[in-house]
Amino acid sequence: MKFPFLTAKTKDFPGSEFERSNCPRRDNEGQAIVPIRSVGGKRIEAAEGTLHRGSLDAGALIECRELAHVYHTRLGEEIAAVRDITLSIDAGEFVCLLGPSGCGKTTLLNMVAGFLAPSAGKLRLNGDDIRCPAPDRGVVFQDYSLFPWLTVEANIAYGLLMAGVSAKRRKAAATELLELVGLPHIGAQYPFELSGGMKQRVAIARALATDPAVLLMDEPFAALDAMTRESLQRQLLDIWARTRKTVLFVTHNIGEAIFLASRVIVLSARPGRIVEDIRLPENFRPRKRTSPEFNRLYERLAKAIGVEGTE
Amino acid sequence: MSIALIFKGFFAHTLRELLSRHAFRLGALGLLSFAILWEIVSRSGWINPVMLPAPSVIARSSVELAANGELQQHVLNSLWRAFLGFAIGSILGLLLGVAMARLPRLHSLLNPLVQIFRAIPSLAFVPLAIFWFGIGETSKVILIAFGVFFPVWVNTYLGARDTNPLFSRAAASLGARGWRMLVFLILPAALPFIIAGTRIALGSALVLLVASELTGAQFGVGYLIQMSQQVFRVDHMFVGLITLGLLGFLFDYLFVCGLRKFLPWYGAENNHANGTRRMDGLKSGQD
Ligand SMILES: Nc1ncnc2c1ncn2[C@@H]1O[C@H](COP(=O)(O)OP(=O)(O)OP(=O)(O)O)[C@@H](O)[C@H]1O
Ligand SMILES: [Mg+2]
Repeated sequence: MKFPFLTAKTKDFPGSEFERSNCPRRDNEGQAIVPIRSVGGKRIEAAEGTLHRGSLDAGALIECRELAHVYHTRLGEEIAAVRDITLSIDAGEFVCLLGPSGCGKTTLLNMVAGFLAPSAGKLRLNGDDIRCPAPDRGVVFQDYSLFPWLTVEANIAYGLLMAGVSAKRRKAAATELLELVGLPHIGAQYPFELSGGMKQRVAIARALATDPAVLLMDEPFAALDAMTRESLQRQLLDIWARTRKTVLFVTHNIGEAIFLASRVIVLSARPGRIVEDIRLPENFRPRKRTSPEFNRLYERLAKAIGVEGTE
Repeated sequence: MSIALIFKGFFAHTLRELLSRHAFRLGALGLLSFAILWEIVSRSGWINPVMLPAPSVIARSSVELAANGELQQHVLNSLWRAFLGFAIGSILGLLLGVAMARLPRLHSLLNPLVQIFRAIPSLAFVPLAIFWFGIGETSKVILIAFGVFFPVWVNTYLGARDTNPLFSRAAASLGARGWRMLVFLILPAALPFIIAGTRIALGSALVLLVASELTGAQFGVGYLIQMSQQVFRVDHMFVGLITLGLLGFLFDYLFVCGLRKFLPWYGAENNHANGTRRMDGLKSGQD
């Protein structure tokens, strides 16, 4: 028999993880509260996790300047996950972060989400330093992250509940979002009753509910079978076209990146640095996986990653 | 392992339904044969029937006891005590469990103390409780609360401490912070643990209830057993024992029914691999 209480060290407590960091509390002074949308008349305050500091580049939505992250392992080693990331992303772009496994894609995305603090460099959203998670950055995780104790509708409305939106408006918003992701009539079901593809679509709806400025997606379709993945990719493009959200999408699948992105950023192996930053022509849509243009891009990206055309 | 998981995930419900019809019939058959065997043994003359009254005799006695309202009074008194003790103990366990999970300093401060108290079987406190609080209601309720507290506290603590970081990140990015994080994430995410602890506590409550009633009371099922022994009514002792068995069974059954009705997701989500791992790690407070 073990005695977990006698041996357990005080590890990081989820939730307080963010409070203990330098996140400003609600209604702190010096905090930029930017109304980002009104849901049925009720304003949702955004940028709770950002502190106003003036902007680096007035135009860009997300601004990274010499951004780096170093992990400290339990053995005292330092692992530089990403290094020297200088990058600016404009509103409305669909950016795919592409790179070999372990190159720091998740690390970069987690910094933008506010889950990790940068070790060096600047990271700004709308000119404000990113300090902790906030509803102006919706996140879709690779693993199924829907709250199992809530119905689909309550999951989608979670962000609105946190913002204090009334029950009636939450329901209306959830219904609308379920239609947007092509899943009307499943609001009363629980996540355990859904397939993997449905779960990820609900997760997208949940992330969109607070009308974030950016949608952060970390290999959201990696766990799905090829057919479901393709249909979800198509649907995501459709949602992107309709909502004009800025999307930062992590993948290690070259084909997925070319199919989705308006811009592909390739990271090198660890420590991840930007080795390629390609804007794809918008007139090249829909992107047929068999077209010569697709293949040319594929070759180029494969070379940049250093895998030479394996899929 | 993965096959077992898939099997559990997809077929658990139908399998349970299928089994339950069979299981029900078999269970009834088992009970009936046991009673018949008992009846035969008791009437055979091999054993003094005063020491082992036949089920038919016990049935008659319980009808008698029920007819003059005595049995109901015993049961109601016991139920009320058990309820009070259970409510107090589980609320305190819940509060302290959450507080210790959320405040590392408080945990460091109180943990050795609570661990030592937990190591003492709560039955050992019966004499002290009577010495301090007399044989009235107070000592009984306190004892039951004491027994209920530990399993609820341990499991709540574990559940509230080990919140899946994926969920807390998701909630934080949706704007949960501070008390909202606690109420809308930490607590519901800990529910499977709290439920398991509460179910264990139901058993503890019954043990402490009887132990405290054995020491004396005006009414109570434990008291009925004790008193019957003093007046050589073995049949009444059996009425008490069977009542206790039925009560315990009924509580657990109602508990499970309540879960199915109000928390349909409970036990149904095997999709989180670490969810099952964590369920295996459950600890009971008192055994
Ligand atoms: N918590 C951690 N502690 C120490 N090192 C870590 C930690 N998390 C990640 N790393 C290291 O940082 C590097 C980047 O990790 P990251 O998860 O960002 O990679 P990734 O590009 O998302 O990979 P994948 O495509 O496999 O998801 C990895 O090489 C890993 O070894
Ligand atoms: Mg990753």
